[in-house]
Amino acid sequence: MNVIFQSTYYTLYQAANERCFYIDFGQKMVRMSLCQLLALRHKVMSIAIEDHFDSDLNAHGFEVLMLCNKEHLFVLNTLEILDLKKLVSNSFVSLGLSVGALETITS
Amino acid sequence: MKDIARQSMSIKVESMDLLNGQIKMEAHASATYLAMASWCEQNGFFTSAKFFFKQAEEEREHMMKIFNFLVDTGGNPISPEVTGINHDYSSIVDVFESTLEHEVKVTKSIHNIVKKSRELGDFATEKFLDWFVMEQIEEENTVRDILDMIEVTGTEGVGLQMIDNQVANWID
Repeated sequence: MNVIFQSTYYTLYQAANERCFYIDFGQKMVRMSLCQLLALRHKVMSIAIEDHFDSDLNAHGFEVLMLCNKEHLFVLNTLEILDLKKLVSNSFVSLGLSVGALETITS
Repeated sequence: MKDIARQSMSIKVESMDLLNGQIKMEAHASATYLAMASWCEQNGFFTSAKFFFKQAEEEREHMMKIFNFLVDTGGNPISPEVTGINHDYSSIVDVFESTLEHEVKVTKSIHNIVKKSRELGDFATEKFLDWFVMEQIEEENTVRDILDMIEVTGTEGVGLQMIDNQVANWID
């Protein structure tokens, strides 16, 4: 497996022989197709991180993420979400599918 | 190293995001025209209602065209949430003026995506949007012609009835 990008908490790998990707979330490895990686990107980039600093909008500063058609469930805190956003945006640049300059997803 | 990502997807994710935004805009336009059709039906402008029912269908077709393009290019099309549809209009003139404003907004959005895809070197998206650029010229022109007709006819006396009858010229 080849490392595509490594952030503080997470690492994205490409498994060429399986034609898929793996994300090491620390406590578990999650296998993903590119479609599932795109779905993760949409979910993560749609998270309004500003809400984490407003107790009315996000009282506890956590996000619940369901990945790969509800196969995996993660509860992530603000720092982990910020790190996952970094992993996702940089990984797509490394994969050649993003130029990295435009962030256009809105919630 | 094999380029699995590029083998699975033919456009840039930035283009995909912009096209998903356009899907949402087309869906919003379709819902807005449906609301206009409803207003026209309730206020006795039955031919105009038919015009807006057709427009609503057309906007949905535009949305599906973009949706299918994202499917074909290996992207992740997102089914849009549509909220905040206005159902209140002060007159039939207000309805058509709002329509033109809406179409201009759609045109600007399409042009913006063309510009961005050109910057990204995303030729597939740029080429795909050619059809939309020409379609928007036609859409704007139709509504401008209707507004011209309204101005010439006037809204006094039987003017409103004549306006509604003449809208039939722009259906089909």
